[in-house]
Parts: sequence; structure tokens; C-alpha cells
Amino acid sequence: MIVLRAPEKTMTCAEFQEKLPELFESQAGLDGHDHLKSCENCAALVRDLEYIASQARLLLPIHDPGPAVWENIQQAIRQEPGPAVPGPRK
Amino acid sequence: MHKRRVYSLCLRMLGNVAEAEDLTQEAFLQLYRKIGTFRGDSAFSTWLHRLAVNVVLMHLRRKGLPQVSLEETLEPSQDDGPRKDIGARDLTLSGSIDRVTLERAIENLPPGYRLVFVLHDVEGYEHNEIAEMLDCSIGNSKSQLHKARMKLRDLLRTGQRKEQIA
Repeated sequence: MIVLRAPEKTMTCAEFQEKLPELFESQAGLDGHDHLKSCENCAALVRDLEYIASQARLLLPIHDPGPAVWENIQQAIRQEPGPAVPGPRK
Repeated sequence: MHKRRVYSLCLRMLGNVAEAEDLTQEAFLQLYRKIGTFRGDSAFSTWLHRLAVNVVLMHLRRKGLPQVSLEETLEPSQDDGPRKDIGARDLTLSGSIDRVTLERAIENLPPGYRLVFVLHDVEGYEHNEIAEMLDCSIGNSKSQLHKARMKLRDLLRTGQRKEQIA
């Protein structure tokens, strides 16, 4: 028996982008998404957002504070009464 | 190195050198005061990192900045909403952004966006952890992150266009 199905409603760019935050969170939702197969603009958007996230993960802690910061920390610590040390565990 | 890691975190969250230096100092002072409470349940670096995040968040709360920014960014503006003209074919980012450019773009994010982006995408915190830290819903954290990435894309593409014109 032949089953006739109504054609699936095509998602618009606005609808796709509305759902994008959710789709990003479940990567499976983006892989091979129908809208991306037919919309180069949204595919480029997704590629860019994935690229930004991947580049951000590669950012290393490369910033150094000025030398005065460490000196100030040492000076402030010298003026402290002493670290709180918990008593022995029973 | 812990000093560098704490300072980089403060700088990225705040986008301001003087404040970042002050809070790095505050974080290490807190570390000195609280070191006795470290039980070894997590790695020391994880514990120190979370302590530094808390120091920055306390500072921002005192200034009243994050609340304002988070509320502002919850309201969709013309800049943030879905757009139909995005993704011009002649201008994609892939492979073209260096670290310095990305760092500069992050600095230029509005504070609310920057917080969530740095915590999630740079520092690797999960949405449930961020929601707890910022006292917002998980959905809010996800939505902020998405808007932050969209804003970064705009900033990076604008920078590229300027370079092409120059």
C-alpha cells in the first residue's frame, strides 16, 4: 500500500536561528540538519559559531600581571595574622 | 603557573587591566586566608580557579554591573535577534582569526556576554555551574552564550571588513 505523506514544512532561517542555541547544546541536533543542507547562509553562520567556540577553547592563560602585583600580594600577606588552619580531624 | 592563570581569568572576565590586577591580588590574599579549608576534594588549581571566579563575581556584584548587563542582554535587541542576511559567502571566519584578534573582540563584548562566554567557552564551565555562579537559569546561561558568540562574530566580521578596505 502506498502511504501518501504531506510534504514536510521547510524551516525558515528565522525559525532555524531561533532554535540554534538549543541545537548547539545537543550537537546531534546540528549534524546533518535539513535546513543546513539547503541554506548556505545558515551553514556559514553555524561554521563561524563553531569556529569561535573552538578557538576560544585554545586560548591559554598568557597574560602576566605587572611586577608590582606580586610584591603587593607578598606585602599584604606579611601583614596578615596567618592563614586559618583547621584543627586536627577526629 | 597559578599567578598567570588567575590574572588571565580576571582580565578576560573584567576586560580591564587595573581591576584585573587588583582582583588577582585579592584572590591570592583570599587563598592565603582560606588555604586551610582546602580539603583536596578537587585539584588545587581547580579550587584556586573557582576561588578567583568568586572574587571577580563578588566584585562585579558590588559594582552592580552584571545584573544590569544580564538584564539588558536578556531583552532581544535588533542587534541580537535572528537575522536574514547573515553568513555572506565571501566573508567567513574559519581559519582567519588569530588569538590576539579574538582576545580583543572578547574585550569588546558587553560585560554580561563576556562573563558567560569566558566562563563557558574559555574556562570550560558547564551551564549548570554558570547558572549557579551568576544566579540565573540554565536556559539564560545558554541564551547568553549564544548571543555572545553572535556578537563576537559580528565584531570579528566587522574587523575583517575594515582590514579589507584598508
